[in-house]
Amino acid sequence: MNALVIFGLLAVLMLTGMPISISLGLTVLTFLFTMTQVPLESVALKLFTGIEKFEIMAIPFFILAGNFLTHGGVAKRMINFATSMVGHWYGGLGLAGVLACALFAAVSGSSPATVVAIGSILLPAMVKAGFPNKFGAGVIATSGALGILIPPSIVMVMYSVATNTSVGALFMAGVLPGLALAATLGGVTWYRAKKFDYPRQPKATWGERWKAFRASVWGLLLIVVVMGGIYTGIFTPTEAAAMSAVYAFICAVFIYRDLGMKDVPKVLLNSANMSAMLLYIITNAVLFSFIMTNENIPQALADWMLGNGLGMITFLLAVNVILLLAGNFMEPSSIVLIFAPILFPVAVALGIHPVHFGILMVVNMEVGMCHPPVGLNLYVASGITKMGITELTVAVWPWLLSMLVFLGVVTYWPGLSLWLPRQLGML
Amino acid sequence: MINKALNHLEELLVTFLMGAATVIIFVAVAHRYLAGVDIPGLQDWLLTLNFGWAQELCIIMFVWMAKFGAAYGVRTGIHVGVDVLINRLDDNMRGKFIVFGLLAGATFTGIVATLGAHFVWENGAHYFFFNLFGIAGEDLYEGPTTPDLEWPTWIVYSAIPLGSSLMCFRFLQVCLAFIRTGELPHHDHGHVDGLEEETPPVDVDVYGMDDNLHMHDLKHTMVGDRRSGEERRRDAAGKPDPERRQGERRTNDDDGDQQ
Repeated sequence: MNALVIFGLLAVLMLTGMPISISLGLTVLTFLFTMTQVPLESVALKLFTGIEKFEIMAIPFFILAGNFLTHGGVAKRMINFATSMVGHWYGGLGLAGVLACALFAAVSGSSPATVVAIGSILLPAMVKAGFPNKFGAGVIATSGALGILIPPSIVMVMYSVATNTSVGALFMAGVLPGLALAATLGGVTWYRAKKFDYPRQPKATWGERWKAFRASVWGLLLIVVVMGGIYTGIFTPTEAAAMSAVYAFICAVFIYRDLGMKDVPKVLLNSANMSAMLLYIITNAVLFSFIMTNENIPQALADWMLGNGLGMITFLLAVNVILLLAGNFMEPSSIVLIFAPILFPVAVALGIHPVHFGILMVVNMEVGMCHPPVGLNLYVASGITKMGITELTVAVWPWLLSMLVFLGVVTYWPGLSLWLPRQLGML
Repeated sequence: MINKALNHLEELLVTFLMGAATVIIFVAVAHRYLAGVDIPGLQDWLLTLNFGWAQELCIIMFVWMAKFGAAYGVRTGIHVGVDVLINRLDDNMRGKFIVFGLLAGATFTGIVATLGAHFVWENGAHYFFFNLFGIAGEDLYEGPTTPDLEWPTWIVYSAIPLGSSLMCFRFLQVCLAFIRTGELPHHDHGHVDGLEEETPPVDVDVYGMDDNLHMHDLKHTMVGDRRSGEERRRDAAGKPDPERRQGERRTNDDDGDQQ
């Protein structure tokens, strides 16, 4: 009963359009003042200690690192490299778009920024080369979402915060599905380009490829710093994030020279703004999950599922449907923070591996970014292509459909996510 | 004036905390590895340093950054909500919901600020201020300190009442501005620097060039136009000039592209 009231109130408050963090907080306060005996002091303490974990501090550092490299110059280098590698195949520039999005999204950590950066450089080039506008928009809008699966990923840090799962293992587990999804999107691009006979680029020589690689490698080394540092145990994930922020600073200011020293305070301020928003949601989501646990709601849900003989397959299907629906209205980090603490205990009770469950949620978030009515990527893409949302929805469907199929594969094939971290001995 | 100073202070504080925390963690990690390298002189000096407090300081700095950054975020409109539903309403109703949302934000942050202030007061601020003014005497609780830095926790935690009050103030400010002007701050999540923007150099005023090679603003005559739009139109009507027609049509196209 209480659970229904809590969720009802949360849903109503959210739909009034107030910030998600505020609606979470107000729900908790209402609940505390009217329905429970939990002393207010313990909540006040939670308010302070909710984000006092060193693991959470990886988020501001990753955002800072990403912001240093979220720059048109970096995007251009990635596009050049990608075009020189795959440009001569069918749908050359489209394939290059998928690859460039994957690389840039991994480094910048933001899907919408990836769509804008890669899209506004590559789309005009594609139109000029003779691709229809629709094709380019579909490729970029969907590939931009790759960033939250390929490490370092902020959504994964959120999941690990909400469920106490190892960040390192999650990052490693994201590598193979990330590559597989990029390959799937690339495959769709290639197939459609071949079918409609879209133009191909002249084949680049190995000399050109080497040159393009050398220009883009400095940005890509960020991934190596993070993954290598965590895997070898040189850094904890948060330290790796701080190191990647320093590395990104050196890279942007001294190697690429895209930014001057005078731009640095602006980047710091923007990153602080973004991180503060996410940390604020985390604080309130921690409060929210505290009262959920206090009311035994996840436990009750797990008992109900087990009592009704609902197995893993039904549960995972339900999880996918719920998350896809939620993806219609909210952005990824809020969804993960609200739903992970509720669904996680059930998943564990059903014998689903925590890391696998995390990857499943992240892939779900990716799909949610690309479908109407609220896919953020669609909105951003509509801004740069000047196409309407309806038109874009039609444009992205081949890729969106393949993403949904891929989501099914990830959901029911744990090996895809778990193989690599197991091989590396991280699980 | 005071508001402007507050804005600057807020931005400065948040920027500083972000940068400083990064540098501290970097130095601490670098120290950990450099101290293991056998460099005569340097190693001895490094071994005398202790960076055990870095992690704690980083957390404290980021908590402060989160609280004040959240207040700054209200001003920049970064706190996202679910706006699908209210965006479909007509402007009047939408406005009411937005005001409701902003006031709800102010209420929540106001309550949190009060709770936080109470907590901080009970955890040492009371003792500190009473001692400071020499009114002590009752057995007041001195309050705990943080484990590594041994700072009194009430100073660390005062980020909550201070930050939340500021945030409450920002919500009210944004709400007032919205009622007055109907405008909300909006954060552009897809903003990327360094992309080529099609802005003309500042000192070229294409609208002011009356040479038929550049676009004209047909609706609004700009200051500095040598002829008013009315005159130009009368001209074109009286003396049909195919070239100018074409020019004007191109003008319209240009305008369309820019939108």
